[in-house]
Amino acid sequence: MPRPAPSVASTARALRPGGATRRAFDNSNPILRRPAPPDESRQLYHSSSRTISNRAVFQAPTPVFAGAQREFVSCRNVQRGNFSTSQRRCRAFKTVQEADSRHRGGGPFSWKAGLIFIITGACLSIYFQAEKARMERKRIAEHTKGVGKPKVGGPFNLIDTNGKPFTHENLKGKYSLIYFGFTHCPDICPDELDKMATMYDLVKQNMGNVIRPVFISADPARDTPQVLRTYLDEFHPEFIGLTGEYEEVKATCKAYRVYFSTPEGVKPGQDYLVDHSIYFYLMDPEGDFVEVLGRNFTAEQAAKVIMDHIKDWKGPLDKN
Amino acid sequence: MGWLPSWLGGSGGESKPTPQVTSDGGVQAPNRRDRARCWEARDAYFKCLDKHNILDSMGPGAADAKAKCPVEDTEFEKNCASSWVKYFREWRVAEYKKQERLRMIEAENAKAQAQR
Repeated sequence: MPRPAPSVASTARALRPGGATRRAFDNSNPILRRPAPPDESRQLYHSSSRTISNRAVFQAPTPVFAGAQREFVSCRNVQRGNFSTSQRRCRAFKTVQEADSRHRGGGPFSWKAGLIFIITGACLSIYFQAEKARMERKRIAEHTKGVGKPKVGGPFNLIDTNGKPFTHENLKGKYSLIYFGFTHCPDICPDELDKMATMYDLVKQNMGNVIRPVFISADPARDTPQVLRTYLDEFHPEFIGLTGEYEEVKATCKAYRVYFSTPEGVKPGQDYLVDHSIYFYLMDPEGDFVEVLGRNFTAEQAAKVIMDHIKDWKGPLDKN
Repeated sequence: MGWLPSWLGGSGGESKPTPQVTSDGGVQAPNRRDRARCWEARDAYFKCLDKHNILDSMGPGAADAKAKCPVEDTEFEKNCASSWVKYFREWRVAEYKKQERLRMIEAENAKAQAQR
């Protein structure tokens, strides 16, 4: 005994394009939006209207997935003829829900595939950007390492705030952040030294004791060890202050490409200013120049640049 | 005159500061408090110059500036080393020119943008 044929009403439900399929291929979704149905599909609904009285069928010809259309077509054709004989062939997609679930799982643009695609893309993009930034830092850091490259920095022979000799050798083992200035500086140096203190604290907090903050005076006539110590203590007691003989200071400034305009042989009572470059110099633990940081950096930004360089460092690093 | 910065030698008025020489032969720099005091006097002086539409307080403009802002001028000279006073006066003119140039460039950019 064959199963009873589906009623006209249920067929109409199955064929109604605004049923479950509308949810799956909603026009409001830009990814799934499809062009208006071609005349062919419109024709399809019209022909079916002869057997199905429900007007909703051709009232709203919402575009449906091409595959689903085909399934409905085959169903419709046989149903139009003889219900009792066509019933078996039509059973595979008896309802919209069935057809819908079939296509929802098997389509080439499922939401899972889309999600994986987006996540993979995002991961790759983040990775490449991080790698690009790393290579850029490496390029900057190794710029002066090669042969025949312009060197910034180099040997110097100065004295620290205790009056003890301090040379380029004393900078090795740790990174160093060097600033040139003079204690009688009217406005820029004090601001920059406050910034330097913040930078130093941030780096020390995050990376440990791996960097030396160094202030080199470009005005040796007035900036003696005692003057430097009193001055620097106001910014950070751990700042290293360097000064020395006029010729030694001049040579140091030249090695670091710092503009040096200090007049020679000034008397203690004289009141004058010194022009100097206003950059922070970052040097690596081997004493090689890494990068300059200008006034355009905030303390936080500069600290980040420094920490990124330190993280890239593969050689030995003194943390004591 | 105990409130005066140490490097002024405690002497007020028109007399120029006597820098304090340290035992190792250096010259003590103004400390944080001295700097703050100088900057404050400078800002008050510049505000007064702004009010009277005076840009350059050196050269020919010096007499006018002194006449219009006598109190501020004296305080400025008293609280800042003379090299600083000169530096800040020059800085005021240079900064104005710089801002003017920036404004011009921006106006040109805006015009070019509008024509496009």
